[in-house]
Amino acid sequence: MAPSATPIDSSPSSTSTSVDNNLQPFFVLHKASSGKSERKSTGSAKTRRRIDLSPSLQMNAKKLEATRVEECGDDDCYVNLRVEAFEIVWSKIESTIKNVLRDVNTNVFNEIHRWVCQSFNTIMSSRTIAFHEATQAFPIIADASSKQLFTGLVLTKNMEFVDDLLTFEELGLHLRSQGCRVANLSSLDFTAKSGINGCLRSLLRQFLMASLDAADISILASWYREEGNYGNPVVVIVEDIERCCGSVMSDFILMLSEWVFKVPVILIMGVATTLDASRNILPSDVLQHLNPCKFTLGTPTERMDAVIEAVLVKPCSGFSVSHKVALFMRNYFARQDGTLTSFIRALKIACVQHFSMEPLSFILGGISSEQNEQVIQDGLLLQIVLKHAFDLPSYVRNKTGEHNGEIFTHGLSEMKKLQKHWGIVVLCLYEAGKYDKIRLLDLLCEALDPELHNFRTSDTLTKIEEDPCPFSSNYRYHQQYLRKGGFIGRALRKVRDLPIVQLCKLLQRWEELTVDVIKIHEKLKELSPVLKSENDKSSKEDMTNISKRQASRSQLYMEDTKAVYEKATILMECMVRDYMQPIESIPLHEVFCFKNVEKLQSALIGDPRRRIQVDLLESHIILRCRCCSGSGNTLLPTMHDTSIMYNLAQEHGDLINLHDWYQSFKSTVLCPRRKRKKKSKQSPSKKRKILTEPENLSEAAIQARFCRAVTELQITGLIRMPTKRRPDFVQRVAFEL
Amino acid sequence: MEINDGDEDEFGFSRNYFLAKDMAASGKKSSHKLSDINLVDEQELRAEASNVEPKHEKEIESLMESYKSLYSKWVFELRCGFGLLMYGFGSKKALIEDFASTALTEYSVVVINGYLQSINIKQVVITLAELLRDQLKSKRRTPSRNLSKAQQPFNTRSMDDLLAFLDGSQVEENDGVVCVVIHNIDGPGLRDSETQQYLAQIASCSHIRIVASIDHVNAPLLWDKKMVHTQFNWCWYHVPTFAPYKVEGMFFPLILAHGGSAQSAKTAAIVLQSLTPNAQSVFKILAEHQLSHPDEEGMPIDNLYTVSRERFLVSSQVTLNSHLTEFKDHDLVKTRRHSDGQDCLYIPLASEALEKLLADMNQ
Repeated sequence: MAPSATPIDSSPSSTSTSVDNNLQPFFVLHKASSGKSERKSTGSAKTRRRIDLSPSLQMNAKKLEATRVEECGDDDCYVNLRVEAFEIVWSKIESTIKNVLRDVNTNVFNEIHRWVCQSFNTIMSSRTIAFHEATQAFPIIADASSKQLFTGLVLTKNMEFVDDLLTFEELGLHLRSQGCRVANLSSLDFTAKSGINGCLRSLLRQFLMASLDAADISILASWYREEGNYGNPVVVIVEDIERCCGSVMSDFILMLSEWVFKVPVILIMGVATTLDASRNILPSDVLQHLNPCKFTLGTPTERMDAVIEAVLVKPCSGFSVSHKVALFMRNYFARQDGTLTSFIRALKIACVQHFSMEPLSFILGGISSEQNEQVIQDGLLLQIVLKHAFDLPSYVRNKTGEHNGEIFTHGLSEMKKLQKHWGIVVLCLYEAGKYDKIRLLDLLCEALDPELHNFRTSDTLTKIEEDPCPFSSNYRYHQQYLRKGGFIGRALRKVRDLPIVQLCKLLQRWEELTVDVIKIHEKLKELSPVLKSENDKSSKEDMTNISKRQASRSQLYMEDTKAVYEKATILMECMVRDYMQPIESIPLHEVFCFKNVEKLQSALIGDPRRRIQVDLLESHIILRCRCCSGSGNTLLPTMHDTSIMYNLAQEHGDLINLHDWYQSFKSTVLCPRRKRKKKSKQSPSKKRKILTEPENLSEAAIQARFCRAVTELQITGLIRMPTKRRPDFVQRVAFEL
Repeated sequence: MEINDGDEDEFGFSRNYFLAKDMAASGKKSSHKLSDINLVDEQELRAEASNVEPKHEKEIESLMESYKSLYSKWVFELRCGFGLLMYGFGSKKALIEDFASTALTEYSVVVINGYLQSINIKQVVITLAELLRDQLKSKRRTPSRNLSKAQQPFNTRSMDDLLAFLDGSQVEENDGVVCVVIHNIDGPGLRDSETQQYLAQIASCSHIRIVASIDHVNAPLLWDKKMVHTQFNWCWYHVPTFAPYKVEGMFFPLILAHGGSAQSAKTAAIVLQSLTPNAQSVFKILAEHQLSHPDEEGMPIDNLYTVSRERFLVSSQVTLNSHLTEFKDHDLVKTRRHSDGQDCLYIPLASEALEKLLADMNQ
């Protein structure tokens, strides 16, 4: 029976070391090869210098670049450049997002800070401790009413705690910058397993910057007496109380409230559901010690729109996504996950895919580091750029003629200008759409659609209105577009429906937004004086009683306002038609715009449950072997054993009788067609074996193959092994796709 | 339209489930027994299993070859701070190790074999920290602030300290990055939530990049949103290889060997490792008894109790029983009726296997 002790397989080809390694829990495969990494790092140092280069250094940098081009191969350079460009672009996007989110939260943060100061003063005013009392290593005895712990309950309005991790981190930073001592605890610190010790240790770790074996609150008390700490509020932030262990949490609160005189702790707790949460988690005697105060964060939708505005609509990094990608990301956000974090991650993956696939994407790095077209004028990269740029489909489609750097640079600046205009119009639409609760994400998707744009600019729109021909396809398209409540259409209609006061505000907003586009700005200015007078009139009217005499005036007024509405709407339509050119219809957009939805989807959402089953059910498609394809639905003995088994398993219910399964496997494997097929395919050395197989494909061999296939299915988790109650059955876990 | 698609999918899924249930309930549940098959001897089965003739070798090879074109993209994504997660049917061990040893030569690479039964995650982290320290040292600009801490050897430091070291600020982009290859991050040795939390924390460290593989269809359930979105930061890759799960399947019992209930000495050793020293000693008494009396039915419980008590291994029948329950639960020990009507305990292993097991335990 000795073999039972050894693993079922020991492949003779593998060397003994690799077998050893296979049985090691972990091992070092190899150490960093210093030579190569040294070279690489010098390479990247140089490129970095190029990116940061100031005018005085340019000559120097050019020399460096010349050497670098000689030094490394074409592709190698690219990759380094693109990795850097990615880092520049992404760090820009990331910091933009952070700023936006911080801005969204500023008011709440300030409010919280004010409350912290207030609470701290309350604690300090009621405590007067003699020195000997303060130095004792036990809490001061006080009456229950004064053992209150000031607690800020922050309603996150979001079940997904991931989105708020950053918020609480930022809150911590904000309070720290105001002089508070802050510790952030998460639900991981409040587990039943590590108990009160876990959170206390984490607390000490963050305050004292040292890990101690014996966690004790008295250490914290003595820390607080130290110079520099005393006199500052101590804030403990617990990110998500719903996920914390209730008993540990209540112990923690009781302990802090005992010591609140020596360590004036102020608690801040994130609550995802409602204020009842604390009541559900904590017993009433603990709740007595809390002195709660409520704060509310912005909703995820608000944050989402703010982030999109800053990153994808306003000029930020230059990186952009295509219509299809935007649609995918919207659907991913709405159906898959619903968290801002996941949306940002999707954007990041889109970004990295773009930089890894698009050879010219490194230009983005230079552009977003305020260097403009400096990069390509450096000469070094010019050839590379030209080599690729004029092959881009969007360029081939739109332009013919000379290929030189100037054209390219011109193309880039044109692109930048158009993008800026596009962003401005989208924001104007969004301002109008806000009155109709239109979300920027939806608007963005529509504004990116190149086909809609073509349709708008092809002039059919006006023609249709004059002479509606209900049979033309354009007309139908147009109708569909309007009926489906295209978001742009809705926003435009809303302009007409706004009360005059709000229209006035809207126009003012538009004026602010379009400062940089003179043509629009001027047209808006023409409108505004008319509107001003209207506004004045209307406000006057509000004050005075409407008399008969004024009725005639208001008749006039009605006509005037009508004209204003008409003008505003027409202006907006013009803006949409003339200035809102989606990135995909601009030449050279491939450099900036990520378009490959499939790549994004497969990298972002792995779908092991479905894909692994498809692998097994259609193994011959993936393996692309001649012997098994073309078989239709019949199972051939040449197919992968596990694949045969899983296909057979489909015929069973949720329980598979092992005996039956084995018999059908055996008959498939022994299928007479096998011999013919195999003979023609296999090499002579194997032929000998196969020829004698009918007798020789022994019961043992088939059983061994059966066993192995079952094991492999078990590894993939597609079946569950027999239990004591049902020793002859395995259980199917997944049911089709 | 897409919404309908999703609904249909879901509907299809539930329909399939109930159809399958129905089939089992209404259909005459097959009453065939496993024992109806003419099962071959276990030894023969194992011998055969170890040299099953591979199929489609050529196609598998060209499949692997086709993935090589993705290597540069993978490196790109690793450099940009993502983790790579490989899935699809077939062992991906060879593929990932080939990738690591050809495309990741400029990084140190540590391989974790998640398919093994027990992995000490702290040891892994210590190794990572040591590698990183060596790497930073050799890069002439050793951060001076680390020197004071470096005096304390890594293996006495706490997990938090080690993670903080791995998450230190980065001097230069590619310097001091250690790649961790995790075969079967969903494997038995890593499957518990605590380990997954640690792995997620390791993955989020600035000096670490992770390349991992999963095989279980439900592996993503191991991670919550925080781990997925902010820590692991996976880029998924569907890379079916159809290569046999040789090493990965090593510790799975063969289903046709003793109806799947057979225990090898290896698995027994693993179970024993997790028991208390006293329980191990009790097991040893039983094993020694069985070896010295190979012809007997087994050891009567009373005898075992007396001997264990003499050696101060148990204080009462209750403690012994709790040990025995543990053994029985893991099929380490079985009972059978002695010819004189007494219940006897025996270990369902051959004597050679038992000897080897004892030798392993004594190490």
